[in-house]
Amino acid sequence: MSGNYDVIVIGAGHNGLVCANILAKKNRKVLICEARENCGGLVEESITNFVPQIPLSVSSSLGGLPVKYKAKSTIALSESGQHIRLVGNQHIDHKVISGFSSKDADRYVEFHDKMSSFSKALGSFMMASPPRIMNNTFSDYFKLFKLGMNVRMLGKKKFNEFARMIGLNIADELEDNFENTLLQGLIAHDAVLGSNLGPRSPGSLINLLYRMATHDNSIFGGIYEIDGGSKAFVDTLLDISNKNKVEIKTSSSVKRCITENDKAIGVELHSGEKIYAKKIISNADPRSTYFCLLGTENLDTDVKRRIKHHRSKGKVAKLSLSLNKQPEFINCDKNDLESRMVIAPSIDYIEEAFNPSKFDKLSMEPILEMKLKNSDQSNPVLDIQVQYASYGAQEGWDKIKDNYVDAVIKLIGKYAPDIQSCIETKTIVTPDDIEKNFYVSGGHWHHGEIQIDQLFMLRPIPGASQYRTHLDGLYMCGAGTHPGGGLTGIPGKNAAQAILEDA
Amino acid sequence: MNRDLRFTALKKTPFHSRTSLASRTNKYYNWNGFTVPTEYSTTELEYTAARNGTSVMDLTPMCKYMINGSDANKFVDYLVTRDLSQMEDNTVAYIIWCNEDGKVMDDGTIFKFSNTKFMLCCAVKIYNWLHDSAEGFDVSFEDATDTTAALAIQGPTSCSTLKNYGADDLELLKPFGMKQYNINGYDVLISRTGFTGDLGYELWTDPANAENMWDSIMEAGKELKIRPFGMHALEMTRIEAGFIQTNTDFMAAEDSLRPVRMRSPYEIGMGWLVHLNKESYFVGKRALKKEKETGNSERCLVGLDIDGDKPAVGSVIYNEKKEDIGIVTAAMWSPTMKRNVALASLKRPYGIKIKENIFAEIYHPEELEYKKIWAKCKVVKRQFFSPERRNKVPADLYE
Repeated sequence: MSGNYDVIVIGAGHNGLVCANILAKKNRKVLICEARENCGGLVEESITNFVPQIPLSVSSSLGGLPVKYKAKSTIALSESGQHIRLVGNQHIDHKVISGFSSKDADRYVEFHDKMSSFSKALGSFMMASPPRIMNNTFSDYFKLFKLGMNVRMLGKKKFNEFARMIGLNIADELEDNFENTLLQGLIAHDAVLGSNLGPRSPGSLINLLYRMATHDNSIFGGIYEIDGGSKAFVDTLLDISNKNKVEIKTSSSVKRCITENDKAIGVELHSGEKIYAKKIISNADPRSTYFCLLGTENLDTDVKRRIKHHRSKGKVAKLSLSLNKQPEFINCDKNDLESRMVIAPSIDYIEEAFNPSKFDKLSMEPILEMKLKNSDQSNPVLDIQVQYASYGAQEGWDKIKDNYVDAVIKLIGKYAPDIQSCIETKTIVTPDDIEKNFYVSGGHWHHGEIQIDQLFMLRPIPGASQYRTHLDGLYMCGAGTHPGGGLTGIPGKNAAQAILEDA
Repeated sequence: MNRDLRFTALKKTPFHSRTSLASRTNKYYNWNGFTVPTEYSTTELEYTAARNGTSVMDLTPMCKYMINGSDANKFVDYLVTRDLSQMEDNTVAYIIWCNEDGKVMDDGTIFKFSNTKFMLCCAVKIYNWLHDSAEGFDVSFEDATDTTAALAIQGPTSCSTLKNYGADDLELLKPFGMKQYNINGYDVLISRTGFTGDLGYELWTDPANAENMWDSIMEAGKELKIRPFGMHALEMTRIEAGFIQTNTDFMAAEDSLRPVRMRSPYEIGMGWLVHLNKESYFVGKRALKKEKETGNSERCLVGLDIDGDKPAVGSVIYNEKKEDIGIVTAAMWSPTMKRNVALASLKRPYGIKIKENIFAEIYHPEELEYKKIWAKCKVVKRQFFSPERRNKVPADLYE
């Protein structure tokens, strides 16, 4: 391939595509190198279940993103059939919860208001590039000051409450507020989803706030399914790329970054081909970006330490069961089956499931988030996110995979007794598979834990925030950067802005 | 919980049976976990031996790391600021290394046996740093501090002493060269290195050979004014030579609690060891390049020639407006040079552009009273003492 490019994006994940298109719209000549045959990265039916909506700021900078979303309600399954059904609307949810406990219902509204105001205060911070204190510039200090003010403006009482809660575990807060264990379990599930934390791990509360900030500032609202599935979403992005004349080279994995005078000037593919550009952007995870693209021989020891200590062990597996008929879930109607179904009956249950994962082992009673696709057709598919399916499990995924799948199915059988007889095929994608097939080291959804020491200006590592790496001309736009994973496109958009600022 | 409350005593070096026998003062101190003499008889006497005869010092407590592996050459070049890619086998190089901010962590010497085998000698323990730096390199490390006995043999008659000991043709060894010997049935590595700024050698051997080596060398130097010397005498000789010492003349980056106390190589007069045009990357290169380009080094480490004869130990340095511009890090009256010398860390541009009208405020104790002296200083080269014999090949021999 000839012709020099302005920008090469490594990886055609959704953030890479968003970033490439924003730059192409600003008349940059952009090439995307994708290692896999397909674009979209982790935005694939085999990985993604429910998604938040792409924020307006991202879709508008792409010139509109014609993707249709279907809002989803949530149902917390109970073995006894006493399910809780929540839609993300406070009035309706209040009514539902008061059916179990009027005290919980009132508390829920209070709790929701409080959390929602906190997540709103974080909100503007979530959308923008984080400040970089090392820069010592006015605008960076101002950003930090603004965040401080946003929280302070909530009033003294709420400010104190925020300070109290920021490092708190979600279990303590839920047990202080609610008596219904199923409701506790459901909220705790959302707080730990995708992370390496249990409900009693410090910092699990900020995880929930973080999730709310991208989910319409609501605990159970802002949960969507893409009309037409992940494929429709990726195809839309590819259509836009086509219009913006973004070139995409698939099956072209990048071996390393080519440098000159300590500046990135191009990439070398595994095929040996060299392509040059003014700027290189990595959609890969931080570890791959630093250790493979930048190369260990070009890193300071301190940076190696930080990357080595960067926590990015994935904990979620996706199990897909194709069925020959719709399974009978106890006490569930058609509407319930179209909801997001969660199996996390109590905080203690989640914590028990979490315990073995601390030692990289597997719990045979994990927590599940399920989606029944094509429920009205003859070939429904049950998509299940299985949490605490540890990356690099000690038992060895090769050996235990079948047993693990059977355990999950047995677990679902408690809620849908006939599930066993409905199953045609079973496919599981473990974090190890994600690492292998999607080139994400650790197989983590977010390319790195969402925890307080890996957030904001500390994301992915100190000294590499604001989408720039330690190498001049090499940028990052993946989920490993602020504000993290989830189908939001914000890292991609912010990275594009950083590059435009530097130009 | 039951805790073992027995404390761990300081370790004894393999020379301890001999050093303790030679010590008349029983003055010891803790050097890197070992107990070694500060002085044997009187510091002045030991210093005089170092400058006029042969002095012997137990160097065993120095941190010694073996670096092995197919990437050892590349790794060493990555670790330190100096360009070692052209370093020859069986030579030694003086080096410093920095952290990512380009702040000096320590200085030391690197011994090259071959492209796959090196030995690093330094003051501060860096086993951990070596391991973390090694990511991506095929190297392994061995802490050889306890398994290597080391002796410094320094002074004008040191070459003759070692020749008597059995080191044939030693006078032909160039400065920063090293040679492997087999003496009295033991392998002894002799390098022409040292910390006194004079002709001198360092010997590295198996701890089992330590006592035999000590005895044989003492015997060999009997007619050549040989004398063991301790830390205090070494301190005097190293100041005269203008050598810097970590955590005395500058704070090691890993040891400073305050980031502003960390120093870049340019700020401690070690800019000549930073090779920014080195082809490969080295730790701290980006930061050092930036510092060099912007010229925003804040301090400098200079030699001072001070009026009078009262040592300016710990003195604050002032300009003519009596503004504080720095501090003396090491000072002494040099008996050999008959000069009042000091090493001082100054705020730039003092010491670089402004070398005149600099004063030291010296508090000189005189029988329970302090005499306050306002002494004029001259900024001079740090190397106060550098005799011709130091680098002469063949080295001077005496009978």
